[in-house]
Amino acid sequence: MTLLEVAAKNALRNKFRTTMTILGGAVAVLAFVLIRTIIVAWNKGVDYAAKDRLATRDKVSMVISLPKHYIDDVRTKIPGVKAASYLSWAGAKWPKDPNVFFANMAADENVFDLYPEMEISPDAIERWHHDKQGAIVGAALAHKLGWKVGDKVVLAGSIYPGDWQYTIDGIYGAPPQTALDQSSFFFHWSYLNDGVKAGMKDKIGWIVTRVDDPSKSAAVTAAIDKLFDDQDTQTTTMSEHAMNQGFLGGASAILAALGIVSIIIMVIMMLILGNTIAMAVRERTSEYGVLRALGFQPGHVRLFVIGEALTVSLLAGLVGLGLSYPFIEFGMGRWLEENMGNFFPAVHVSPVTAATAFAATLVLGGLASLLPAIQAGRLQVTDALRRIA
Amino acid sequence: MSSIVELQGVSKTFYRGKESVPVLENLSLEVPEGAYEAFMGPSGSGKSTLLNLIAGLDKPTSGSAKVAGSELSQMSDGQLARFRSQKIGFVFQSYNLLPVLTALENVELPLLLTSLSGSDRKKRSQTALRIVGLEERMDHYPRQLSGGQEQRVAIARAIVNDPTILVCDEPTGDLDRKAADEILALLEKLNKEFKKTILMVTHDPAAAERAGIIRKLNKGQLQ
Repeated sequence: MTLLEVAAKNALRNKFRTTMTILGGAVAVLAFVLIRTIIVAWNKGVDYAAKDRLATRDKVSMVISLPKHYIDDVRTKIPGVKAASYLSWAGAKWPKDPNVFFANMAADENVFDLYPEMEISPDAIERWHHDKQGAIVGAALAHKLGWKVGDKVVLAGSIYPGDWQYTIDGIYGAPPQTALDQSSFFFHWSYLNDGVKAGMKDKIGWIVTRVDDPSKSAAVTAAIDKLFDDQDTQTTTMSEHAMNQGFLGGASAILAALGIVSIIIMVIMMLILGNTIAMAVRERTSEYGVLRALGFQPGHVRLFVIGEALTVSLLAGLVGLGLSYPFIEFGMGRWLEENMGNFFPAVHVSPVTAATAFAATLVLGGLASLLPAIQAGRLQVTDALRRIA
Repeated sequence: MSSIVELQGVSKTFYRGKESVPVLENLSLEVPEGAYEAFMGPSGSGKSTLLNLIAGLDKPTSGSAKVAGSELSQMSDGQLARFRSQKIGFVFQSYNLLPVLTALENVELPLLLTSLSGSDRKKRSQTALRIVGLEERMDHYPRQLSGGQEQRVAIARAIVNDPTILVCDEPTGDLDRKAADEILALLEKLNKEFKKTILMVTHDPAAAERAGIIRKLNKGQLQ
């Protein structure tokens, strides 16, 4: 038996109160982990952007298309370009549930060469290359809509009206540490181009370029935009990082507010725990008197109080993390990826978030017990013993 | 026989705001080593205050309090705590066992302040429980014991450090007559066989008669 073991046993003495406090703390940890995970997932698109990928779009607006021949110019006239591809936003909907939002993009044949982090079988790409109406879809989207390889699906066009028929040729995934959206739908640009009116033909949405040397991205960026400076449609090229940052930057105030809320939640947990510990100290004043009579020093009494708080915090942290993992990994995280994959491409509890939540729980638990511990340590032995019933 | 307690002109005054309340006034007392003494008197006569001073729980306002060779009036709070852990065993009226600990763990509690190993602490605690006749109940929690048994566990906790003096504040106050007699017999055994000096505050004349000397206090004075 050690002093800390005695403190830990004391902490579990009032089982109902301790259980409620632990559950309260655990819910706070869950909320903290959930909010931090959402912030991390939101920022992931920026943090994990490829260093060697550039995006080129119309200089005025992203919704204005580029002439298709620009891709040939980028491929042939710009030094340092390893590969280039293009995509167009099609914006079609799943007619069975038009509220389901996913990125529906017409892409060039080589688009998957630009995204090596994408996990997709060579067979699937081979099938897609030979299937003009073929589609490659993200695992989260396929899971959400119940699609599997070989399924025939029809999407209702919005930008490009009509029913668009596809065969699912492959399903891609992505490692958790990447920010790749797993709810996108890729199909052949040629299929789109053949199906639109004459005035809409031979247009592409944006160009994606991979450079040989990431340190020369700035030079390649400048070269691409300079190439089209004299054209009717001028371009703006930026790194994937900058593009993602621009896309997500508008939400920075919301993210900052969420971050503050997560801290407030933990402070509330600290106050609840502090109140519980203060109540326990008041109830056990006579016992602390007995311990002091037996020869325990004020420091020992403080250790008892802090030990109790740390025990409760430890359990709250463990239960909170125990709840957070299944809730996020199998519930909320998958739902966000499937329904808001463009904003939250990969929602996973990171080890840093889990460690931060656990450490914060222990530190705040210790802080919550400081005042009660100091008060308990200051008790006069004779005064404390007088409170014996 | 040498004195284990020597009080010379001890006074103790408490303060309620600006009002002073003298409890002990110029009290002198000598207790020989190995004695078994009972202190009686009406409520407010200063019995518990006197016991607290002898046990090092409090310090006199004036005068000298020499106990087991140590001058308590000059000691810091930390020194008094060490003195209590080494020289004094406490027996309280309401036992004051920690409910979350077994009988054995309650007895072991004071030994956590020593440098003894875990196995030595256990052996000594078992021995103390054997002396009070409760070795069969060492794994029981206080709620599983009768009042008399709880008080015996408390006595085992008081003697486990092999203290010089046992300070007992109404040790039979919460017990029925039969259990009280068993506790008093146990205290006699500790006094006679183990040569412990026992100082007991009690309102119970039957308990006081078991002691070798009965001292009566009134208004802070020994009579």
